[in-house]
Amino acid sequence: MAAETLRPLILICDDERPLRELVKAALGGAYRYEEAADTLEAERILEQDRPALVVLDVMLPGKSGLELLEELRGRPETADIPVVIISAWHGEYEVTALGSGANAFLGKPFDPAELADTVERLVAA
Amino acid sequence: MLRSVSARIAAVTLVAAGGVIVIFTLFFVAERNLRSANNATTRAADVSSVGLTLRASVTQLDSAFRAALRERNGTTLADWHRAAAAWHQPGERLAVIVQRPGDVQHVHEIETLINQYVDDYGNPVLGIAQFSPSTAKSADVSEEGRLRIAQITKRIDSITGAAARSAALRSRHADGFANRVTEAGLAALIITPLLLLFGGVWLMRAVARPLGAVVSAASSVAAGDFEVHLDEDDRRDEFGALARAFNRMTSALKTNREELVTRAQRLEESERRKSELISIVSHEVRTPLASILGFARLLLERDLTQDEQRAYLRIIDDEATRLASLVSDFLDIRLLEDRRFPLRAIELDIRPIVVDQAERMLARHPEHTLVTAVGAEPVLVVGDEQRLTQVVINLLSNAEKFSPSDGRIRVGVSRTAAGVRVFVEDEGPGIPPEHADEVFEPFFRGDAAAAGIAGAGIGLALCRRIIEAHGGRIGFENLRPGARFWFELPAEGLVPEDDRLPDAAHV
Repeated sequence: MAAETLRPLILICDDERPLRELVKAALGGAYRYEEAADTLEAERILEQDRPALVVLDVMLPGKSGLELLEELRGRPETADIPVVIISAWHGEYEVTALGSGANAFLGKPFDPAELADTVERLVAA
Repeated sequence: MLRSVSARIAAVTLVAAGGVIVIFTLFFVAERNLRSANNATTRAADVSSVGLTLRASVTQLDSAFRAALRERNGTTLADWHRAAAAWHQPGERLAVIVQRPGDVQHVHEIETLINQYVDDYGNPVLGIAQFSPSTAKSADVSEEGRLRIAQITKRIDSITGAAARSAALRSRHADGFANRVTEAGLAALIITPLLLLFGGVWLMRAVARPLGAVVSAASSVAAGDFEVHLDEDDRRDEFGALARAFNRMTSALKTNREELVTRAQRLEESERRKSELISIVSHEVRTPLASILGFARLLLERDLTQDEQRAYLRIIDDEATRLASLVSDFLDIRLLEDRRFPLRAIELDIRPIVVDQAERMLARHPEHTLVTAVGAEPVLVVGDEQRLTQVVINLLSNAEKFSPSDGRIRVGVSRTAAGVRVFVEDEGPGIPPEHADEVFEPFFRGDAAAAGIAGAGIGLALCRRIIEAHGGRIGFENLRPGARFWFELPAEGLVPEDDRLPDAAHV
C-alpha cells in the first residue's frame, strides 16, 4: 500500500465526465485521481489534499478555471503546483492562461499521448 | 371674420372690382348729365333765336301797317300783306321747339293775338282809312295798335327769357353735378388703390405668417427633427388644413424612423448573436469531439482490456450521439425562421423517451442525482418521436448545465385534463424575472455566458417551436431553489400520419 500512496495525485477539474474519463484513460495507472465537476469542488479537494498536478478546464459552472488558476498562484502553499489547462477556446485563453502561470495549454480536442507526456514531464520536474 | 385665404382673396378682388365699377359709373353719369345740359342750352338758344325772328316779324308788321296807313298805295299794301303772312313761319317753328306744354299754349296765344291784330285791327283800320283817313289816324286807334303790339312782344320776350333762364339754370346745375361727380370719382380713384393696398397687406398677413411657420417647420424636418408640431387648433383656413396634414406627415415620418431604428437595432443584435453563435458552435462541437477523438486514439494506440474497450466505445457512442443532436440543433436554426415545420406524427408512449434520455444524461454526469416520477401505464401522445426526444434532451441538458454538481434533477410524466404533461426540475439558480420573457427567444443566453455555462441559446427556442407545432404549450416556473420547465401536449392534438393523406404531412 506504500506504493499506492507514492503514486502522484492528479486533480482533474472538468464539468464533462467523458473528458475526465479521457484524461484518466490517457494518463493511465501511474497516477491517483481526484475529480471535480466545478471549481467549488476543486477548491474543497485542494483544502484537504495537495495534488502533484491539476488538469483544469476553463469554461466551468460558477467560477472559471482561469480564476481558480489565479487563486492557486496567489497562495504560497499552492503557488508551485503545476497546472495544465485544457480548453475548447483555443488561442483566446491560451495567452491568458500562460500569462496567469499555467504550465501548459492543450486545446480540445487533444492528443492523449501529448497530455500524458506533458503531465509526466511536469510531475517529474 | 373671413376664415379662409380664398375668401380673403375673393373679398379683395370684389373691393377692386367695386372700386372700378364705381369710378366708371360716376364718370359715365357725369358725362351723360353734361351732354344733356348742353342739349338744353342749344335748344334754349334756338328758342331765343326763333323768338327774336318772330319779334322782328311782329315789328315789321307794325312798321308795314304804319307805312300803309300813312300813304295808301299798291306798294305799301303789298308790304302789309307780306308782313301779315311772314310771321307764320317763325311762329310755327317756335311752337315746335319750345319744350314745356305751357309754352306751347303761350305760343298759340301769341299766334291768336297776332291774328287778331291783323284781322281785328290792321285790316279793318286800313279799310276805314279808305273812306276816312282822319278816323283811321286818330290817336285812339294808334294807341290800340301800339298796345296790341306791346302785348305781343312782351309775350314773346317772356317765352325767350324763360327759355334762357331755364337753360342757364340747367347748365349751372349740370356743372355743379359734374363737379361733384368728378370729386367723387377722384375720391374713388384714391380710395380704391388704398383699399387694395390694405387688402394686400391683410392677405399677406393671412398668408405670410403661417407660411413662414410652415417653412421653418419644414426646415426642421429636413434637418431630422420630427418633433416639430404646427399649431392647428385655432385655424380653420387652408393653413389649418396644411398644418394638420403636415403634423400627420411628421408623425408618420417619426413612426417610420422609429421602426427603422428598431429594425436596425434588431439586425445589429441578431448579427452580434450570430457571430457569438459561431464561436459557441465551435466550442460546443469541440467538447464531444475531444472525447470521441481522444478515446478513438486510445483504442487505436493502446492495448486495452475488452471491458475498457467497451467502456470507451460506449463513451464514443454517447458523445457522437450528442454531437449529432447538437449538429441537428444548429441545422434546425433555420426552422425557427421558417413558417413550415414538418412533423412526422405517430402515436407513441412518451415515458421511455423521458426515462432513456434522463438516464443517458445521468451517465454523462454522475455527480447529479436523478429522480423520475413516471407511472407504469403507457402515456400515449401523437407526435414526432425524434422532435419530442430533442425537446426532452434540450430540457435535460439545460437542467444539467445549470445544476450544481451534486444537484438533484427530477423528471416526470403525467396526464392532465388537457392531455399530457412532461416536466424537468433542477436546483440551479432559476430564471431571473427580468429574463422571463426572453428565455424561449432564439440565441438568448441570459447569464449563462457569465456563469461559464456553454450553449448556443437555441435549445429552448427550438423546444417552443416544436411543442407549438404539436399544438402544445411550453413554460417554466421558478422553484426555491431551481426551476421547473414543462411542456403539455393536447390529448386531441395531431392526427397520426397513417391516418392522413400524404399532402397534409405539414402543420
